[in-house]
Amino acid sequence: MSVRTNADRLVSVSVMGNIASPGFSGLPAIPYSLTSDGEPFLLPTYGGIVYNVSVGDSVYGWLADCIHPGVSISLKDDVGNRGLNIFSCVGNVAVVMSGGAAGARGVVTGKSGRFSEHVIIHFSVADREKMAIGDKIVVRSKGVGLDLPDHPDIALKSCSPELLDALEVSSTSEGKLSVPVVAVVPAHLLGAGAGLTSEGGSLHIQTADRQAIKDAKLENLRLGDVVALADYDSRFNHGYLGGAVGIGVVGQGDSPRAGYGPGVTLLMTSHKGGITPLLSDDVNLKPLLNL
Amino acid sequence: MGAVSQPTLRYPGYTLDQDGVGRVLPGMAGVVYNARVGDPAFGWAGDHVEPGTSIHNGDPAAEFALHYLTCIGNTATVTSGLAKGAQGIVTGEHARLLIDFPAEANDLLCVGDNIQIKAHGRGLAFTDYPQIHLKKCSPALIDAIPFEDLGGKLRIPVTMELPIRIMGSGAELNPEYVDQDLMSGDRLLMVDLGIDRMRLGDLVVINHADHRYGRGYRAGAVTIGLCIHGDSIMTGHGPGILTIITCAEPLIEWVIDPAANIANYLKIRSLAS
Repeated sequence: MSVRTNADRLVSVSVMGNIASPGFSGLPAIPYSLTSDGEPFLLPTYGGIVYNVSVGDSVYGWLADCIHPGVSISLKDDVGNRGLNIFSCVGNVAVVMSGGAAGARGVVTGKSGRFSEHVIIHFSVADREKMAIGDKIVVRSKGVGLDLPDHPDIALKSCSPELLDALEVSSTSEGKLSVPVVAVVPAHLLGAGAGLTSEGGSLHIQTADRQAIKDAKLENLRLGDVVALADYDSRFNHGYLGGAVGIGVVGQGDSPRAGYGPGVTLLMTSHKGGITPLLSDDVNLKPLLNL
Repeated sequence: MGAVSQPTLRYPGYTLDQDGVGRVLPGMAGVVYNARVGDPAFGWAGDHVEPGTSIHNGDPAAEFALHYLTCIGNTATVTSGLAKGAQGIVTGEHARLLIDFPAEANDLLCVGDNIQIKAHGRGLAFTDYPQIHLKKCSPALIDAIPFEDLGGKLRIPVTMELPIRIMGSGAELNPEYVDQDLMSGDRLLMVDLGIDRMRLGDLVVINHADHRYGRGYRAGAVTIGLCIHGDSIMTGHGPGILTIITCAEPLIEWVIDPAANIANYLKIRSLAS
């Protein structure tokens, strides 16, 4: 059964960010982070134009820490950056407004949370090569306020109407929303992001225990995959609640750090278990949004 | 050194509960006159209640030193104001350092009064158990906890076990900095597991938690935590659990003991169990 929405009443508004530079902390300039076993490592992390990692690629195996595929943008002004981070929805169109790639169009694919707060955008590799750090990118935001009138227990977050359409969700005979996903993440493997906002940012799948990742069938995750979050209520922050279900999209790559791993941007949540994840192949932003 | 902190609110002051209802609640910072280690962690009309006196240092580098060097059980001395000379004991580390002073000293403390801590405990280790990491444990605390050496393993008294799936806010921080909240949003689970009977100052165990260099899931790892602050209405939050002992291997056993509270161990007050 198709699902009614209020998409025709949504307001679409511009939010702007600049392509963010990768950053490290200042003097004494110790650049290392620690792995979950305490080994120092120095690897690329969030920020910048990432030329060779894109939505559709594996989340695992990169020599990187929570790498953002494509282009990361943010605004120096904190309040404005929060507007960018909250109003941008996965599937929104982004347009380059300055520099060598002016006019190029991309698509929002994820958001990152505390300590970075970037919006992550897919552009073609050819467009990425024309960009420079600092270039202005406007996101034509649309999606905040999106509702499903027949599923009042479900809150949608960072979900554009275009993505909702592409996901091919349906109402079941029990009145639940069936949502295709590639995997279900158990609560004990959700780490950093718990207790933080669910309107933006990310909730991380923790991967230090590789056997636990295999047991949960998460070892083949790709950037852009849509996953379910078991027993998490993400209406107002992310937190444990038995029976609650969330749906999110994998926005960032794996991490060597404890409590971290692929970051998930939340798309929808039901604290009453009103979402039924439907395990399917290839539920990924690359085919869904024709990236 | 730190100074007694002032509670702060951001206009309009609401904190949202899990159903989105906004409430204005006290609990963090200042001198909390009527909550002490040994009191319940749940049930306050407050949020993240910090027992006793909360101190901070306005200089960022000095503030990090206060956080990273102070250990649970260290002595604190008031060095200015009407309570000058009063002595207290460090009982927790949240966004501020938490200190238990006698009620008479609390009555004399003013926001801004200086408090100096004799930081002692960083570097502490069990020489026979190099795999077991100690964090923020003063020698006084380690001396007071009745460990049992099982020859290859240590057994530690705790009041309860927390399932790893409810460990929440703080996973994004390093384990040398503040606590990790248990997520109390599943109220039925709190009652079923008896977690709602937790007291401020309780020692608790989290099985499969590796907190050596972060706070994460690892099958077989064991972490002993200390309840430092009270419950919260916010999703993903709840009583604060400070990492004090952690091991990536199953070398820590535990025994349930209702008396496993630092109020007893540090002789702050005696608790009826």
